[in-house]
Amino acid sequence: MEIKECIAFKNTSLGYKKNNTVISVLTDINLNFYAGDFVGIVGLNGVGKSTLLKSLCGLLPLLNGQLFIDEQPIINLSLNELAKKIAIVLTEKIGGFNLTAYDVVAAGQMPYNNSFNHLTAKNLTIIEEAITICGLTNHKYKLLNELSDGLFQKTIIAKSLAQQTPIMLLDEPSAFLDYASKHSLFLLLKQLTKEQNKCILVSSHDLDLLLKYCSKILLISNNNTELISVSEAKTNKLFIEIGGGFI
Amino acid sequence: MEKNISIKFFILVSLLIIAGFLSLLFGGSETINLNDLSLNNFIFWQIRFPKTITAIIAGCTLATAGLILQVIFRNPLAGPYVLGISSGASLMVAISILAGSSLHVFSEFFIGKAFIVTSAITGSFLVTLLILAISKKVNSNVILLLIGLMISQICGAIQTALEYFSDATSLKNFVTWGMGSLSNTTNFDLTIYFPIALLTLAAILFFIKPLNALLLGENYSQNIGINFKTSRFYLILISSVLTGLTTAFCGPIAFIGIAVPILSRMIFTSSKQHIHILSCLLIGSITLLLSDALSNSIIHNVSLPINMITTFIGAPLVIYLMFKNKSW
Repeated sequence: MEIKECIAFKNTSLGYKKNNTVISVLTDINLNFYAGDFVGIVGLNGVGKSTLLKSLCGLLPLLNGQLFIDEQPIINLSLNELAKKIAIVLTEKIGGFNLTAYDVVAAGQMPYNNSFNHLTAKNLTIIEEAITICGLTNHKYKLLNELSDGLFQKTIIAKSLAQQTPIMLLDEPSAFLDYASKHSLFLLLKQLTKEQNKCILVSSHDLDLLLKYCSKILLISNNNTELISVSEAKTNKLFIEIGGGFI
Repeated sequence: MEKNISIKFFILVSLLIIAGFLSLLFGGSETINLNDLSLNNFIFWQIRFPKTITAIIAGCTLATAGLILQVIFRNPLAGPYVLGISSGASLMVAISILAGSSLHVFSEFFIGKAFIVTSAITGSFLVTLLILAISKKVNSNVILLLIGLMISQICGAIQTALEYFSDATSLKNFVTWGMGSLSNTTNFDLTIYFPIALLTLAAILFFIKPLNALLLGENYSQNIGINFKTSRFYLILISSVLTGLTTAFCGPIAFIGIAVPILSRMIFTSSKQHIHILSCLLIGSITLLLSDALSNSIIHNVSLPINMITTFIGAPLVIYLMFKNKSW
């Protein structure tokens, strides 16, 4: 069986603009990710984990080279098409304006509904499904400001599920969670790669969690990327340098 | 929950009708006799009627402009008056009235009005862009409000300087305008004011989805397929036209833009922006109509400035919110 290629970097350079100067973070990377991959992204602070994830979903423009999403160049995809392919979970907090957990999950269906934001029966079923999978049924009408960090994280993940994308990106989702929530989060993500054949990329500093649940590890150091399988990680020099030696 | 919403809207519409009658009947020194509403009733048709309609349009435009600003800045305390946007419009009008009197554009009545409207819209647009640029540098809602306050002080200072060098007629024109009043609008003015307001409000219909998405912030709204920067630009344009237009006809009116959307979110506990746009139209009209009736009936035979009443409603609400520190 042929495995679908979800993401392909071809000689891509990534970075961002700050005060009109271009800051290049990662240069000339060549990486491929496939459906069913559960990739943990590790690297010290500031090496470009967030830049990689934000470039992947079009929040940052490419500096050079090409990026293929579902075998199409990302520059050929409209924002709405991209929204149906990649969902992202970021570290930023949102809330206020009477926003409930349900509203955020429902926003995941926005790429699919009309310009008046009308939710059809089909939209509603998908939203409910995402809420159930993430275990938010009892909390869906709570205001975002009232949710614990763990439930908030799950709400954003449910939004990403409601987006029905083949690719999911998560930027340090375990940062503010307690021990039990961390494990249940990674279990959920692993389940999604298995059952829905999603390609999930997650950046984290919890190396033990990545070793336990992920299928591959992407190591990022200054201007260098290395994609390895989990079994290779313990003997990898770079992984040990980043902190894997303490496990 | 849906049923509750229609009951609330029904109550608001009823209130609007009552407030409309109160403003028509008690909105001046003379109480109108309902038995005498023939077309010859000068006070009713030439003074009361345009003023009541003006109150409705001004309430609708300022409240929705405030709602849009609060969503764009994701700041429940934003509004055209507190962010200095109304002052920006005032300053541009001051410049154009004072410059205009030397250019003699006011000899032609219509051109004069169009000139004022355009400059007010330009002024509010420029200040909104300035505030937007500043808001990217500061994270705190309160600091943004303080900066808005400073901008409005600066605009005020330049205005004072301009007034100092102006001749008596244009100075009087400007000072009367600057106090904020619903009664300077004639029936003829309404033929300009009403259609522009209606078209601009209708334009919001195209931005229901972006408004809902913008609540999630720049990154998430991009990720669910909404072009954040483009939507934000058009929404700023809409809110500037709404603020500038009303400021051109009524002068700067305080606190409607900030208080009404807050009230709306307290009444309708929903995050859906089409509900809030509709309720802002209603609550905005009701508030200004009642303020108008109040300003004319608190003291017999005296018409108090409308800004005094709106400030008494709006300012305590903002203070209350800051104490509660809950973000609506």
